Amino acid sequence: MNKNTTPKPASGQDAAAYYQPLFAPKTVAIVGASSSKEIIGNTFLRRIKDYGFKGDIYPIHPKADEINGFKAYPSLAETPKPVDYCYIAVGAAQVPDLVESGQGRIKFAHVISSGFGEVSEGVALQNQLVETAHKNNCRIIGPNSLGLYSPRGGITFVEESSKELGPVGIISQSGGLGTDIVARGQRRGVRFSGLVSVGNCADIGPTELLDFYLADPETKVIGAYLEQVKEGRKFFETLKASQGSKPVVILKGGRTEQGSRAAASHTGALAGNEQVWLALSKQTGCILADTLDEFLDILLAFQNLEPRTDRPSDRITLFGNGGGTSVLASDFYARRGLSIPPFDSKTVDALRALQLPPGTSIDNPVDAPVGTLRQEEGAIAEKIMDAVYAHSKPDALVMHLNMAAFRGRTPPSVMENLLQAAFRIQEKYPGQAHFLLALRSEGDPETEEIKRRFRKIALESNVPVFDELSNAAVALAALKFYETFKRDHVKA
Amino acid sequence: MTIQETISQARKSGRKALDESNGKQLLAEFGVTVPQSIVTKDAATAAGDVSNLKFPVVVKVMSADILHKSDAGGVKVGLQNADEVSQAIAEMAKQPEIKKADVDGYLVEEMAPPGQELVVGGLKDPQFGPLVMVGLGGIFVEVLKDVAFRICPIEEIDAREMLAELKGAPLLKGARGQKPVSEDAIIDVLMKVGGDNGLLMQLEDDIAEADINPLIVSDNGAVAVDARFILTKQSNS
Repeated sequence: MNKNTTPKPASGQDAAAYYQPLFAPKTVAIVGASSSKEIIGNTFLRRIKDYGFKGDIYPIHPKADEINGFKAYPSLAETPKPVDYCYIAVGAAQVPDLVESGQGRIKFAHVISSGFGEVSEGVALQNQLVETAHKNNCRIIGPNSLGLYSPRGGITFVEESSKELGPVGIISQSGGLGTDIVARGQRRGVRFSGLVSVGNCADIGPTELLDFYLADPETKVIGAYLEQVKEGRKFFETLKASQGSKPVVILKGGRTEQGSRAAASHTGALAGNEQVWLALSKQTGCILADTLDEFLDILLAFQNLEPRTDRPSDRITLFGNGGGTSVLASDFYARRGLSIPPFDSKTVDALRALQLPPGTSIDNPVDAPVGTLRQEEGAIAEKIMDAVYAHSKPDALVMHLNMAAFRGRTPPSVMENLLQAAFRIQEKYPGQAHFLLALRSEGDPETEEIKRRFRKIALESNVPVFDELSNAAVALAALKFYETFKRDHVKA
Repeated sequence: MTIQETISQARKSGRKALDESNGKQLLAEFGVTVPQSIVTKDAATAAGDVSNLKFPVVVKVMSADILHKSDAGGVKVGLQNADEVSQAIAEMAKQPEIKKADVDGYLVEEMAPPGQELVVGGLKDPQFGPLVMVGLGGIFVEVLKDVAFRICPIEEIDAREMLAELKGAPLLKGARGQKPVSEDAIIDVLMKVGGDNGLLMQLEDDIAEADINPLIVSDNGAVAVDARFILTKQSNS
């Protein structure tokens, strides 16, 4: 492949504008929809139609006049308008000719088909595809990918995906995991500015999309599932040049693989993939997540909380019901490098003055049983938190409710009052502490339903909700890492 | 000879690595302190050649055929005068492994002042380009793998964070009743190796792997006592 022929954003044109036709296409062509049965192209067509795509849809078919109620066109050269986004799901061998047949009228071709660089016999075909595309001023996403999810453009490849445009932009080298990220993420409250399944990254890869998301005004947080970054150097340089302007969270597969280098030195023998990614993280401020759960929890935290670089999140207060839970959490937070410092005497005095029932801890972590929390219909939480915020001034407060313990003893309104009390404290002390909520459920359907409702209420106040205190710890540790990086590495 | 000439000469003679003397010349060019040294041909030439060195000195055999100099009996430390140097070289020449090797000569070096042993390394990663590494010497590197890597070029804060990241970091600050060593001296070496104008960035096309092992750090400086540079397969120059 001759790199000089790669179409690039025109000089002065930023990446946000260059990729606009991909994320918000006016015209979509679909190659690989059948006139007689539902195959993958038809599914995509139906999905974007149901999802509310506003532009023109051009099914491409050699013989059919109509597919799924849309007028079909015999070739990509004959669509009424040029094609911003072309979805291709036909046999690999046909794809280069298809792209050629667009005669320069296709901006972005997303190749779903497999049988390219992921198998040795497809490598030549993949090179041919990219070469053909570039000659025709077309950029390729994929091949061997699943699709695009772009709420702003009305495009989705994920069933039942949220229509809400959010701030989290995703790059995924696995299509299946991309689906999980959207489906699971949105149930936790993560809202996306886009997700691109990039497949083999024959042309457009993680670095190009990182460029886009960094420039995209809709995107506040960037997440990437990566397996192999071919142009690692460029990826590193792009991240480094961004100086942590947006948090980047990376879920890296294959980190533990030892490189296949034949080492002749100590250094060579010690260097592995893991070492390089840890280095990249420390030098660029990007956060490495170990599991999909961690990845989503961290994205959620960055979506809802404003990182603070003058005071990285280190001193944490835990407040909620469950003594053993608090003890275990204290250990876990310490392992993640977060401190749960004891309160100073002023805070202790202020809490003591509240004359809380016996069994309530007036030190950090504040263990308050249901019997305490239900006092004043839950309004007591406001007084406790006020005392903590006024005197102890924590960097973050995690409120945790073991919901099962409330059920049968209090009406759900008490728990809701606790949340509202917490939100009022956040308003009273703006910018003082990150506020995170752990709604702990035993899994009973009724509890889950209350949790779902509370999660929605919390997100409306920009409060991220986690399943357990440990999930909140992972998110806080990531926040602290990012804030510390910006404080130490980025000159104001 | 310039560095580039030294490297291309090594390539021409089919070497995969720079010899120790050339490796140290390279380090010196980039401002890393190396011991004063001379290269002498054999026991007979040694006495005259060492006249400007400060004793005690160390003698090391130089041969591309010998990978582990100590195991071959090719290293002798603590030599107090020219006679001892000549005698050491004469004995080395009789060692079986050295006898059958193609010997380029003998490196005679002043001994570095005692201090903490570190390893500074470099590596060209196929995806990310040059990497720089630091670790404490001996079991810390070899058994515990207590090392920190960064992608080049590093900044001073990166170098500082690399040291802080080592589990053995307290040893640099004088744990177990030892004198603290100069962290600034280590950071200076890391920058000269892994910084923007450092050796690994400037010679990216030529250096595949590098070991400075040991770098001996005292309370006021760091000396590269041994250095090994593996050349890349092809030169782009």
